[in-house]
Amino acid sequence: MVKVFIYPATSLMLSDLVARYGHTPLGSAVSIREHIQTPGFDSPPLQMTAEDPQKGLKWAAVEVPSGIRGRMSLYGPLVEEAEAAIIIDEPELSFGCMGCARTNELLCFMLREKDIPRLELRYPASREEGVTFVAQIKKFLDDLKKEETA
Amino acid sequence: MKPYIPEYVGTVTKYVFVDSPDTTPQDIATAAYEVAQGVMVKETCFGCQITGSPEDVERIVAHLRKLDPYRIFVKDRGFPPGDARRCRADLGGARPGYLGHEFEMKMARYISYGLEAVDKMTAEELEKAAGTPLPTEEPLDADIVEQLFMED
Amino acid sequence: MSDRPVRIAQITCGAEYSGIQNEITSAAATVGAQMFYPDVALKDVKTAYKEFGLPVKSPDLKLAIARAKAIVEGRIEADGIFIASCFRCAEAAIVRNELRRYIVENSKIPVVSYSFNERTSSSTLLTRLEALSTIAKRRELMAREVQVGITMGVDSGSSTTKCVIMKDNEIVGTGWKPTTEVLKSADDVIAEALAESGLKMSDIEAIGTTGYGRFLIGKHLNADLVQEELTVNSKGAVYLANAQKGFATVIDIGGMDNKAISVNDGIPGSFTMGGICAGASGRFLEMTSKRLGVDITELGALSMKSAGGEDVPMNSYCIVFGTQSLVNALAAGYKPEDVAAASCHSVAQQVYEQQLQEVDIKEPVIMVGGSSLIQGLVRAMGRMLKTEVVVPHHSQYIGAVGAALIASGFVEKKRAEKKEA
Repeated sequence: MVKVFIYPATSLMLSDLVARYGHTPLGSAVSIREHIQTPGFDSPPLQMTAEDPQKGLKWAAVEVPSGIRGRMSLYGPLVEEAEAAIIIDEPELSFGCMGCARTNELLCFMLREKDIPRLELRYPASREEGVTFVAQIKKFLDDLKKEETA
Repeated sequence: MKPYIPEYVGTVTKYVFVDSPDTTPQDIATAAYEVAQGVMVKETCFGCQITGSPEDVERIVAHLRKLDPYRIFVKDRGFPPGDARRCRADLGGARPGYLGHEFEMKMARYISYGLEAVDKMTAEELEKAAGTPLPTEEPLDADIVEQLFMED
Repeated sequence: MSDRPVRIAQITCGAEYSGIQNEITSAAATVGAQMFYPDVALKDVKTAYKEFGLPVKSPDLKLAIARAKAIVEGRIEADGIFIASCFRCAEAAIVRNELRRYIVENSKIPVVSYSFNERTSSSTLLTRLEALSTIAKRRELMAREVQVGITMGVDSGSSTTKCVIMKDNEIVGTGWKPTTEVLKSADDVIAEALAESGLKMSDIEAIGTTGYGRFLIGKHLNADLVQEELTVNSKGAVYLANAQKGFATVIDIGGMDNKAISVNDGIPGSFTMGGICAGASGRFLEMTSKRLGVDITELGALSMKSAGGEDVPMNSYCIVFGTQSLVNALAAGYKPEDVAAASCHSVAQQVYEQQLQEVDIKEPVIMVGGSSLIQGLVRAMGRMLKTEVVVPHHSQYIGAVGAALIASGFVEKKRAEKKEA
């Protein structure tokens, strides 16, 4: 089982495919769950406080807007943990955790910069593309398994 | 500041989405209830949400996937179901994540088709199918086009 | 007005991830308002974004556009709109500004725009949300154009405390003092105003309080009206400047923060409040007069001896650097009048850059508050905005006048109650 960072980190399809083919998807839900299940000061809805953008300073400088630093505090640790990544280009309609284009750019860059197996593709727009989409992801994930057992 | 005492510590929550002519969201929820054994299952308009220990949730998900393997999609969720912090009824509007699901579910049929096709492929066929590049190539930069033209 | 909470639509980007969503919700709850997310479907987002025509990349900003359009087009009801995004985000600043403009031009819903960071607290947001809530809840009271009976307004500001007594649409007594102990300063200015008017406390039919100390003084005086300074000052300004009909822009450069309010028919439409540093506030002018060895009341006359001081290097973006350039300018041999004028120019420039970009400047531009008595500052602001700035009489008492005027809305009701009893 390899920890695969999914981008968009909120993607239902990537979360499903990674788990379906036997690996662990790393996405927003993992970090949000950690916040929601950790006691502290009440700060609904995400239980994120001013401390989170401060933690984000590890990945983005102080002049970077607080929303980006806050989001990076969710993703930074996951990127560090990731052993592989699947990136779908242009998640132009993923809101909330993936709602900031600047965070998304930085996140993509960090994933590309990291020396891990990476698959980049885009959303399918037809049945034929659906086949290619699933085939590429399955092959990528199967290869990860082979590398793991090798 | 008010202290925060979390609920459902140690649990995981998964969304189960279905987009199928043969299986309704209600079918999914009913099937989940049947094998729930006390695990929290909540029926939704798209399928259901399951909250429990990772092992319990995985057991139910595995059971549900068998019902319509290519048309059921499962995703991790940070919040337990019905949480007032994310609930549409309390916020006056859908949380942003809902629209993202709406967006991806529109391509569910292509992916379902892909899942079914890929499932029947041999290793060689998979290799070949995966070989087709998916990202359409970026349009060439004007400077590069000009350079190629000059070289010609 | 029923007791249902005022519903404020939240159109923000980045609030949850900056860890300040709870601050917004709590500030709203404190002023009896409720924040809500305008509900839009995915297809609304796609259409609205396309129709609006501002190409942005961040999905949450596309969502913000769709939410604003749904309200303006009447598909979703809201009493007020709070637009906010992360400080220093250029993409969001463009969207925030354009959405604010779009809402003001196409609806009557009051809107406040704000940029936050992780340190934004509910107390910072309180006055802004209170103003939104006030406009929605007290529209009838805010529409008052004539003062009736005998009323008192007390404005407890960060630098000074002011009191005004009004009788039959005339100012009959005033009191003014630097704020020391909040309650004592208030009592002193009240005594001053009563003495001038020749009235007794028992003659006062209704009382309104505003400014930072409004809650404390409001309780102390058992005031009929306790209201934030944004709506009160704008009301006072258009009343004194005789600009109650149509558009007007009110600028109040205070001792701690600045307010810029865009008013339509006497009711604030959009407003902004704040300032990055005291360098953009009246505080910098106080420091200047201290350094020049003149009283703050003389700084205006001194600055008018200069042609404008635009050639003196001075930048008060930060009060520390501003003070440094002040010292340097004097050391370089610039005349005190030019340095005084340069300070005024610098403060006006900061207000222009930081605040006036967030509201639509429509004439007349009315300057109020103590700083409006510094002629050099008014001149600098006028040059910056290329307009003749109006400074109404009693402009330094603006909050107190506004409070006395609005509080007179309670007079008739109280008289009727008294009669019944």
